[in-house]
Amino acid sequence: MHEIIRLVNRNLTISLNMGFVIWQIIFPLIYIFVAGFAYTALIHQVPFGSKTLDYPAFIATGMIGFNIMNSTLISGIIIWNDRRHGMFEQILVGPFTRAQYILSNVYTIGIIGLVSAAMITAIGYPLFFKQVEFNVLTIPLVVFASITGSILFGSIASIISTRLKSSEGFNVVINTVFLFFAFVSTAFYPAQGAPLILSTAFYFNPLTYLVDVVRAGIFGYFNGLVATEMVILGVGAVVLFLIATKLLSKLEL
Amino acid sequence: MFTIEVKSLSKSYGSFIAVDGIDLKVEKGKIFGFLGPNGAGKTTTMKMLTTLIPPSSGTMNILGIDGTRSPLEIRKKIGVVLQQPSYEPTLSVEKSLEKYGMMWNVDKKIRKSRVEELLIAFDLIDIRKKKNDDLSIGQRRRVQVAREFMHDMELLFLDEPTVGLDPSARRGLLDFIKSKVKDGLTIFFTTHILEEAEYLCDDIAIINKGKIIAVDTPDELKNKFGREKTIKIHISEQKNISALLSGISGCTIERDSGVLITVRSIQSEQVLQDVLKILSSNDITVEDLSVVPTSLEEIFLSVVKNSNA
Repeated sequence: MHEIIRLVNRNLTISLNMGFVIWQIIFPLIYIFVAGFAYTALIHQVPFGSKTLDYPAFIATGMIGFNIMNSTLISGIIIWNDRRHGMFEQILVGPFTRAQYILSNVYTIGIIGLVSAAMITAIGYPLFFKQVEFNVLTIPLVVFASITGSILFGSIASIISTRLKSSEGFNVVINTVFLFFAFVSTAFYPAQGAPLILSTAFYFNPLTYLVDVVRAGIFGYFNGLVATEMVILGVGAVVLFLIATKLLSKLEL
Repeated sequence: MFTIEVKSLSKSYGSFIAVDGIDLKVEKGKIFGFLGPNGAGKTTTMKMLTTLIPPSSGTMNILGIDGTRSPLEIRKKIGVVLQQPSYEPTLSVEKSLEKYGMMWNVDKKIRKSRVEELLIAFDLIDIRKKKNDDLSIGQRRRVQVAREFMHDMELLFLDEPTVGLDPSARRGLLDFIKSKVKDGLTIFFTTHILEEAEYLCDDIAIINKGKIIAVDTPDELKNKFGREKTIKIHISEQKNISALLSGISGCTIERDSGVLITVRSIQSEQVLQDVLKILSSNDITVEDLSVVPTSLEEIFLSVVKNSNA
């Protein structure tokens, strides 16, 4: 078995426990069903390109992106845990290179991101199936968004993991980043109609691009803006991945 | 050919020299003890030999492989128990062993049988289902050391492996290590507990301030640096015998509590005869008498003290 596959196997084993899986399902479910239906009284419908979506369908698709971010931020802390519990050094005195260690984390994050996306798509499907418009771009768009989004958020978590030493500091930063990404984005509400400052801030948040591309795939709406968002997402993922790799390769032992 | 051959190996961090041009040779199938006070350069040396950090200068040949050119090839053939704890908090003891074997690409059937063997050898059977996070420091250390024996290796680096272990677990571990050496394994062993080094090691190097200050077998180190013996005399009633013994040449009175006096000398036999003569002529009854050879610990302290001076 190749070294990277062995490391991915190990990463998945240590990351996927019952608590994590329940959290990954329950957390978005609460948003989809509780917030989705509760807010319907306030937000009846949401414009999306040439379409108008029901709010539960809008939030259910937003939760796909949200769940990718959530799961990859959590799985991105593999590096943090490895450093904290001495496994980072232990792995590097084993039959592995730093590059293999970094790539294994990327693959792990990608797998968790894709599985999370698939899980929430299946759970949220009853809410948005009426407005779904599958076409040849649907699967490529959703898969592209899932993979680039996973790498992007996984890289952010990795960068934080390499920069911070205290667990208190790490938790504060991760929670702050999580709150900003989750709520200053189009995952929960549309940018249209929001105050200008807020709607502008939405577009400084990669989750907005991730969610928009997922929705574009599911609701069959692809235009120049979506293409631009894909480019930004892709470039952002590559740049952050390179930064994370650089920081990890320079991490002192 | 030596399993480890190091020439003029150095490591500097800016102007600070952590390891200063050391030379080492470790023979195959031997246990090589690496001793030194805190901050002497033991762990830095270990990190270079395990290819975790590159040396600033010098050469190192591990298992016939150039350590600076092919570090991965070396790492595939060695095992390392680091000084600091390393564990997966969410895994159980047996899962930790199993997964570690998987990481080393050990065949599944072999993994299964090795897990069982190691659980018994390291007395982990009762805690096999416990998560690492819930273990005591000593239990976690046992798992960490046991885990390293999940895979095959030619050379094992142990950096203070017995830290946190109780005496029985410590002795069990040392005996387990000895049994592995009989199978041809070479061990590079650092410790602060000199009794362990004496019990286990074929050769010992003492490092201080980044330099090797002595290398030899434990017995030879004692011959070289420990010719002095300690004579302990316990008398029945309080007397000032320091004054009586002060005339004996070639000895140093180290301690006199009135009933217990400690004398050190290289010519211990002659000094002992003189002491007994004086005590007898002064009607002093000896309750207990012993001549103690210098321990490795005393040699270590003396060698380090001399090198500091």
